[in-house]
Amino acid sequence: MPELRRDPIIGRWVIIAKERGRRPTDFIIAEEPVRGGFCPLCEGNEHTTPHEVLAYGRSHFAPDTPGWSLRVVPNKFPALIIEGDLDKEGEGIYDKMNGIGAHEVIIETPRHDDVLHQMPVTQIKLILMSYRDRMLDLMKDMRFRYIMVFKNFKRAAGASLEHSHSQLIALPIVPYLIQEEINSCLRYFDYKERCVFCDIIRQELATGSRIVCENSEFITICPFAPRSPFEMWLLPKRHVSTYTDLNDSMLNSLAQIFSETMKRLNAAIPNVPYNYMLHTSPLKQLNIEHYHWHIEIMPKTTMVAGFEWGTGFYINSTPPEEAAKFLREVRLLV
Amino acid sequence: MSADKKKILVVDDEEHIHLLYQEELEEEGYEVRSVLSGEEALKLFDSYAPDLVILDINMPGMDGIEVLRQMKQKQPATPVILSSAYPEYKQDLASWASDDYIVKSFNLDELKRSVKKHIEKNNA
Repeated sequence: MPELRRDPIIGRWVIIAKERGRRPTDFIIAEEPVRGGFCPLCEGNEHTTPHEVLAYGRSHFAPDTPGWSLRVVPNKFPALIIEGDLDKEGEGIYDKMNGIGAHEVIIETPRHDDVLHQMPVTQIKLILMSYRDRMLDLMKDMRFRYIMVFKNFKRAAGASLEHSHSQLIALPIVPYLIQEEINSCLRYFDYKERCVFCDIIRQELATGSRIVCENSEFITICPFAPRSPFEMWLLPKRHVSTYTDLNDSMLNSLAQIFSETMKRLNAAIPNVPYNYMLHTSPLKQLNIEHYHWHIEIMPKTTMVAGFEWGTGFYINSTPPEEAAKFLREVRLLV
Repeated sequence: MSADKKKILVVDDEEHIHLLYQEELEEEGYEVRSVLSGEEALKLFDSYAPDLVILDINMPGMDGIEVLRQMKQKQPATPVILSSAYPEYKQDLASWASDDYIVKSFNLDELKRSVKKHIEKNNA
């Protein structure tokens, strides 16, 4: 019989269609044809991007030149612009403000064909460090309320360029979904005086059935009520609400488990497109007791359609216990 | 036709856009040729050697992003302005290979400013 499961954080319901029980081998993902041609993100084409705001790895001090290991540049045609005032105003019952924000692209590697799950842990550490360093810089801007980092991998997940990259958007408001998540965490905290994510980690460590991998500081699980098959959450085991609190030793540990998580996903479903989103506390609510930063990884194995849009329910054909077992046991090529 | 006129190639599957752009840009002193598809544009690109290309994104057959990619591979220095009715494509990172992105409008001032800027920049 199908099972209805409720997400303990925001109360979203999902239908786990157990008897359909799709295994990873049921998700055959065709390799996207390589388009090749000119790529503005490749090393050597630095002149085609806006001026970089961060670069690692160069042994000389000439910005926008080759020799880098990772670059961050503003979006060439940004949705939100960095200069100006918010000028908040009401128009009757409607609220509006100027489209102030930052939209940046993290070019994760100088090489066009590198993919995240094959990168060395040292390169993954640079990527995770760039998220932290750009956040620390943008946090100084008092106009911003939230910084979202995300990655779209492959065209089916929204990436229009093959070159490995992620994106960062700083917003003058806290996005609705994040605010809803934080409000729910606060309600739980007010009732139990504990962080809901800390409770989830405690229970997952005790039962073990939804753990994908772990190390001394981090854990990757398939959540109890996942929206899609093989959805994963990567969380720090210790309570930390704000991503920018990561120190160098934690970055090493995070890079190691993030690398392993992405390798396991690709080994389970080769070439699977995915999105990942970094959830951290809003800029005006740093170091809070009721929230816990984490990375949500959403493989793109299904389409969100009318039922999901209409109800907010998701139908998932792979129970997270089966997904976690498969991801845990999948053979990794070293 | 004067030999020192700068040449513009307009690629758009709508003929009324050809007429509109041609009239306005010729008035500004440019030589303009228009084609209806990406395939035709790539064929003409080498022989016509335009000083600038104005390229639509949504076209039947080869889309503008693919045409842009191939043109930049052949001749990276030739400025290409993407022109689309869809502002949301502007956030698509593939559009970064272009030199500018203009949302289609009957007011061609922005387009003309961009054409002038990129032709002058390329000849500086």
